[in-house]
Amino acid sequence: MAFLDNSGDIILDAVLTDVGRKRMAQGNFRITKFALGDDEVNYGLYNKASASGSAYYDLEILQTPVLEAFSQTNAGINYGLLSLTAPDLLYMPVFEINTKLMVTNAIAPKSTFPNIFFVASTAANTVTKLLATGSLASTKYFTVSNQYDGSAILIEGGLNTAAVTGGPSERTSYLVSNNLIDNTAYVYYDNRFFNGIIAADSTSTYNNDNNGIPNLQLHMKRAAPISTDLQIDNYSAVRISCPNNGIVYNQDYSTPDTTVSAIAGPRSVFAALNFDVKTSLTVEFSRYGTVSNDLFGDGNSYSFIDTMIYLQGATTGMQIQIPVRIIKYVGT
Amino acid sequence: MAVINYQPLAASDATTTKTLLYESIPLTGTIVSGTYGTFPDDTNIKNYTHGMFQSVYDYPYLSSSANHIFDLTVGYKSNSPLSVSAGSTMQAKKINMYNQLSQVLLGYTGSANTVRDFELDLNLDQTGSMKEGLFINFSRLLYKDEIKKGTVSITLGTGSWATPFSGVKTLTDASASVVQGTTNTLGGDYGLLYDSTLKDDSVKGVVFYQAGIVVLSTSSFDSISTFNSGAAYGYTVGQSLISASISGSCDALRRRIQNIQFNNTVEINSTIYFCRAAHNKYNYSTNPTYLSASQIVVKNAASDIPVSYITTVGLYNTNNELLASAKLSEPLKKTPENEIVLRVRLDY
Repeated sequence: MAFLDNSGDIILDAVLTDVGRKRMAQGNFRITKFALGDDEVNYGLYNKASASGSAYYDLEILQTPVLEAFSQTNAGINYGLLSLTAPDLLYMPVFEINTKLMVTNAIAPKSTFPNIFFVASTAANTVTKLLATGSLASTKYFTVSNQYDGSAILIEGGLNTAAVTGGPSERTSYLVSNNLIDNTAYVYYDNRFFNGIIAADSTSTYNNDNNGIPNLQLHMKRAAPISTDLQIDNYSAVRISCPNNGIVYNQDYSTPDTTVSAIAGPRSVFAALNFDVKTSLTVEFSRYGTVSNDLFGDGNSYSFIDTMIYLQGATTGMQIQIPVRIIKYVGT
Repeated sequence: MAVINYQPLAASDATTTKTLLYESIPLTGTIVSGTYGTFPDDTNIKNYTHGMFQSVYDYPYLSSSANHIFDLTVGYKSNSPLSVSAGSTMQAKKINMYNQLSQVLLGYTGSANTVRDFELDLNLDQTGSMKEGLFINFSRLLYKDEIKKGTVSITLGTGSWATPFSGVKTLTDASASVVQGTTNTLGGDYGLLYDSTLKDDSVKGVVFYQAGIVVLSTSSFDSISTFNSGAAYGYTVGQSLISASISGSCDALRRRIQNIQFNNTVEINSTIYFCRAAHNKYNYSTNPTYLSASQIVVKNAASDIPVSYITTVGLYNTNNELLASAKLSEPLKKTPENEIVLRVRLDY
């Protein structure tokens, strides 16, 4: 895909997408709304310290070359522009994965496999072998497929900044008052590998006690599927609840809030995810993953597939990508 | 990922337009005859075993890069003087070719439903009939939706077979335009091709604009004794139509095409969507680079105005399916201090 000529007047290059052509062939091509995106822009190029003055702050951004419009499944807007009523926001929430090992029921990547969240297949001996010394060796490092009462991946939302403390009043003024609370979120997953998503419902809680000790109470249930055009092949979507995140800052707590939370400032919501891995996965391991690999060097062989889970807030649009490894014990 | 913020498009936010685009199509004689081999070994000329027409390409036709540019054929009516001549070659096929093109372009006449004659006038009264024709059928790749009226120019050699361009004549449809100089028939509008070198502007053929077909009268070549190489002595154009094969007569015509030029027409129907980003819309972004430690990077203080940059417009249906996508050639700054109307045109 080439760049558009940006040497003269601003032009608009428009194409029908494959879905658009399909709908046209079916006779139900009807455009009813639009959205705007800025996928090509790197806001890090906004130079607020430009010595030439404010007119030059965005010089590099305005010179960003833009690709021609795509027509296939990747044609969509990945990061849409947002309409928020308040013009005076300085902070916006983000999602972060909580990998603090002291939170019960929340898993974390093992140090030898940074940034990978393991999901154990329900195939025979997989959990037993993963708990063995020399392997992952702890339930802190993996979830088990289709379990409703075990560990899960804990994701927190909020202002991840040390500039604002995470007290209740800050939560109200920075997040609630500005309608920056995502009470629901969308999870996108590869439907070749997963039957669905199991997530914390709205009755789940996450808070810290008077000593600052975290308490995560999960009530997991299967998330409801939704129909939407994801522009990613083989991906499906579900809607999940995001209960309020009750972790707060209190100077009197012996365990600081930042010790138990991935968010440094005011927290908005949290989500907990587990997965229902398809039990029929066989050839998929060879097609999309690795087969019979002594992954931990303990003499046991595993097949595994790496895939990406996407979580997106329904109100703020904030997103996070969660790298997941589906793992299955296959023998010695 | 799913887009979070959509803006509805009202019926008044869309309008439709029709635009006619014209392209100049020059066909030089060297492409038609000479560039890709010398007669009879032209590699851009395709003859068929049925022998009813000849195809001309802009490159050796066995190459996948070759484009079909036009076909040539010849024919005459069953009541033409040529059809009663003895020793005719492919007579039935020549009559069939004439009749087929005539019935498609002009249709039938009378209670007996006889196929009309091509006529060298605009009256369609069965007078001024052109009972023999040399046909040039342009590929749709060239003429697109139609040939633009008043733009056709065909330069033909009138010399001998050996030196075809020792004399030339140019046929034009200069008297035809959108508002006059044509007649509407079953095959669309047709106009007359005049010999611009003659003082009396005598008509030497007709051009069917929507069908992309030129019918040349044999009278353009009446004065030539060796229109076709034929036997040792050569054929006149009449003899060629009688005694030569269709492809043989096509070779002779092709050898005399010095230049063909016309403008094609492309009709583009468009829907224009006016996507209005109001002053209080789309001033923030979900782009991951928009935040650093949760702070909006384009702001130093909360009182600073938010800034976003538009690069993409997505057009959706009610099911949130992306039907069309448009990209700006450079990012467009959006703040609460401005409103932007993006005009997205979809052509069909």
